Amino acid sequence: MRRLNEITCVFRIQLANMRGEAGPFLLAAVVFPSAMYLFAGAVGGAGAATGEARLRFLAGSIVFSLSLTSISWLGYLMLENRFTGRLKLFATLPLARSSYVFGFLGFALAQGALSTAALLAVGRWAGVPVRPSIVPLALVVVLTILCLCGLGAVVAARARSFTEGSLMTDALGAGLVFLAPVYYAPEAMPGWLGAVSRWLPTTFAASAVRTALSGGHEVYGEALALALTAAATLALGLRLMKWRED
Amino acid sequence: MSWRSTQTVDGRGRRGVGACAASDARAPALRARGLVKRYRGGVEANRGIDLEVNAGEVVSVLGPNGAGKTTFLRQVTTELRPTEGGVEVFGVDAVAAPLRAKRLMGVTPQEAGLFEQLKVREHLELFARLKGLSKAEARAASREVAEELGLAPESGKRVGDLSGGQRRRVLLGLALLGRPPLLVLDEPTTGLDPASRRAVWDVIRRAASRGAAVILSTHYIEEAERLSDRVAVILDGRLVAFGTLEELLGRLERSYRVSYRDPFDPEGETRSLYFESFAEARGHVQEEGLSEYTVARASLEDVYFALTGQRATEEASEEVACGV
Repeated sequence: MRRLNEITCVFRIQLANMRGEAGPFLLAAVVFPSAMYLFAGAVGGAGAATGEARLRFLAGSIVFSLSLTSISWLGYLMLENRFTGRLKLFATLPLARSSYVFGFLGFALAQGALSTAALLAVGRWAGVPVRPSIVPLALVVVLTILCLCGLGAVVAARARSFTEGSLMTDALGAGLVFLAPVYYAPEAMPGWLGAVSRWLPTTFAASAVRTALSGGHEVYGEALALALTAAATLALGLRLMKWRED
Repeated sequence: MSWRSTQTVDGRGRRGVGACAASDARAPALRARGLVKRYRGGVEANRGIDLEVNAGEVVSVLGPNGAGKTTFLRQVTTELRPTEGGVEVFGVDAVAAPLRAKRLMGVTPQEAGLFEQLKVREHLELFARLKGLSKAEARAASREVAEELGLAPESGKRVGDLSGGQRRRVLLGLALLGRPPLLVLDEPTTGLDPASRRAVWDVIRRAASRGAAVILSTHYIEEAERLSDRVAVILDGRLVAFGTLEELLGRLERSYRVSYRDPFDPEGETRSLYFESFAEARGHVQEEGLSEYTVARASLEDVYFALTGQRATEEASEEVACGV
């Protein structure tokens, strides 16, 4: 019960602190990904009008949004907490490090749920033939957020300065989307890049989100890959985070 | 509301304010033994510090920049793991059981940031909840701490809209929440104007009078002199002196100070000379025919400078001797 209270408080602190930053959040979570959906449609040529292509663009935009909010935004907040001494405030409280991390992850999941719902609404408005399977979609979104948050946590823990860290999270957030076959078919990529991108978490995420949006349930392979990556990155991020220095 | 330095568990089995089931009420509030902190690269910031703080006592830690004060306090607050030695808080091993030790502490770190978008009230309430207080207790504690620190009129303001001094008071307020029996304050009054500093002194005195042990680091000797029951001086990672003001003054071989202006250089700086007795000091005044002078007992400042050798560097004309 105590642990739950701690997690809730960390969540509420992050939520309350976002009051003045709702605008930038909406830009990252909804506006940019929606614009990318329109952009992908515009440069996709004749083939972009098909239902399958539009579904791919929408899935890509959802992954883009999750990447921006989980790695870039959350990573930025973790860096801010670390380099402005807020982390020290938490670390000197009788608060378990895992409570801080879970509070943060809860905040990330709430953001992800909000942005995914908003982008689904955008998709419906744009006439994308969406028939989402809710459980697989929710599972994939949660695992994608955990995986990307883990990456953000690793960067936030390792960065030598706030500037270095925020540049890294921005580059990672965008890079993981644009270096993976998120908005286009894997075949469109150069050979070596295709081989690398096959293993990126965003590739698994985009494929699974696309399947779930078209009513499919066969997301287990991607979900397993995302779960393993999430476990690895979160464990590493937690280990690297300096709650107590040696 | 009262301070509770005894350790109890309430009827619901929850650790009460300033309480810890496994702590020892008879043990000193803080006991540091042989504390050594060696950073990577070999820098030894603490070189075997032994120090005890009792309930109801205010101990100030003085020392020049880089002496190892903050390193010492960060080991006490469990932020830093000691290389050697140990820290106990009311008998709880703070190295092995940091969470249990932290439940007995309120900490104001030297450089900690607040959440700018949160209102003062929210900040205090949420952090009180993180300290394990119930919703109603957190609300009450937040209100009382805000009033005690003169922050009540600012309760509805965003932290980002506060002045530097007000933010510092919010940080202190976070330490006071839940009335922990040990307060660890790293330079709590740095950046405060004189009135705010005095207000904070009052808060610290009240905390101690209610039974809390307070250990604070400061660069203000006047602060240490006015607030402390005992003063610790850390120099080059070592505890070079620890005792009451009288005990520290007793360590000066010459504890009477004559401050005077050179009759041949009336525009020059005030000079100081130290003597073993008042009579000897008066004798010197008469012998030199000084007309503008003061004779006084040496102060903590004199002891501090004698121990650290700082003034000796700055004012080579002084003759300070200390039997350390």
